[in-house]
Amino acid sequence: MTPQDITKLIVRTSMKDRAAFDLLYRQTSAKLFGVCLRVLNDRTEAEEALQEVFVKIWTKADRFAVSDLSPISWLVAVARNHSIDRIRKRRRPAVDLDEALDVADPAPGPEALAVAGGDRDRIFSCLDELDQDRAAAVRGAYISGESYADLAERYKVPLNTMRTWLRRSLLKLRECLER
Amino acid sequence: MNGTEDSERELGGDDAVAAEYVLGALGSEERATVARRIDADAAFAQLVDRWEVTLAPMANAYGSVEPPASVKQAIDRRLFSSTAAQTVEKAGIWSSLAFWRGLTVAAFAALALYIALPLVSPPPPATPAERLVASLAPQQSDVHYFVVYDARTKDIGLSHVTGARAPDHDFELWVIDGSQPPQSVGVIPAGSNVHLAVSQDIQQKIASGAVFAISLEPKGGSPTGAPTGPVVAAGDLRDI
Repeated sequence: MTPQDITKLIVRTSMKDRAAFDLLYRQTSAKLFGVCLRVLNDRTEAEEALQEVFVKIWTKADRFAVSDLSPISWLVAVARNHSIDRIRKRRRPAVDLDEALDVADPAPGPEALAVAGGDRDRIFSCLDELDQDRAAAVRGAYISGESYADLAERYKVPLNTMRTWLRRSLLKLRECLER
Repeated sequence: MNGTEDSERELGGDDAVAAEYVLGALGSEERATVARRIDADAAFAQLVDRWEVTLAPMANAYGSVEPPASVKQAIDRRLFSSTAAQTVEKAGIWSSLAFWRGLTVAAFAALALYIALPLVSPPPPATPAERLVASLAPQQSDVHYFVVYDARTKDIGLSHVTGARAPDHDFELWVIDGSQPPQSVGVIPAGSNVHLAVSQDIQQKIASGAVFAISLEPKGGSPTGAPTGPVVAAGDLRDI
């Protein structure tokens, strides 16, 4: 499937074409389930989230036309945002004990070893220009859905400091990518 | 904290909020507030989209995991079971008010008619659809656009999928209503997502089922008011 094929399936889905929706599910559900699992880290919850994500895709597919994202990135964004909303609700009371005990690993994760690609290489080489802790915080937030509160605790800095770190890091990251 | 000059610069204002939302580090209430703003404020939504594009390559870190078959069955039950209408409505409102804002039952009815009666032309819409999507598929070219027409804001949004314009040429968008001569909507600006305003006249043509076509014209558009170059893409709802 080319990006154009996925685009076509999304547009057909926005027009309530069930066959297109079924094919879109077959082509993309494994990737989106990977997103839900990584953020939610719980199989049952990830399965529920994936259901909700595809219900959203069915109802909101017309939104794709006004986005600059590639089709697969748009689908991933729907899944990632939904999973993060879900985990925020779950963790609202406090950072739980398991998480506090979770070993912090600021080194590049397996993602650094994933399939090569120009944009992908570029963003990871730009991340490498940041301080190691800050790059790891950016990855933790984006890829695993960690909150400011989670990250502040992990790096033992006040929440507002973490917020400043990340705002500065994002600016640097964008500047690096636009060079 | 690091006190060097470089690291003291940081994002501010809406751009910072958009970046933090996309990064995902905000708390539950903050995310809900930002999500409402995305629905209500198109300029802000564009800032968010820009950050989504910037950070999207990081998503390559996600592996693929085959979900169990029960998930698709549950989705189908939620969307298409005998109580589907009710379920969809509930799920839709729950997931996005903004989506429903732009879409009426009448629009769906008109849409169903377009799809169900592909050979009837022009299909008589019960009421003018508020929002229509068309794929302008290539005609002996690689030029491909998606078109979203919003009747309420009188706006046509064009997403460029593939196909470059020839040097010193422009793409021009036309509506063609039955046997009447094509009417120009305008020269399509360069860019991946662009917008064209729609006159009253053209709105009526779209409402009565006109098709869209894109022709290749000299820079600045057709000098004659009618298409002069080859049609590089065309389509309507029935082509999707």
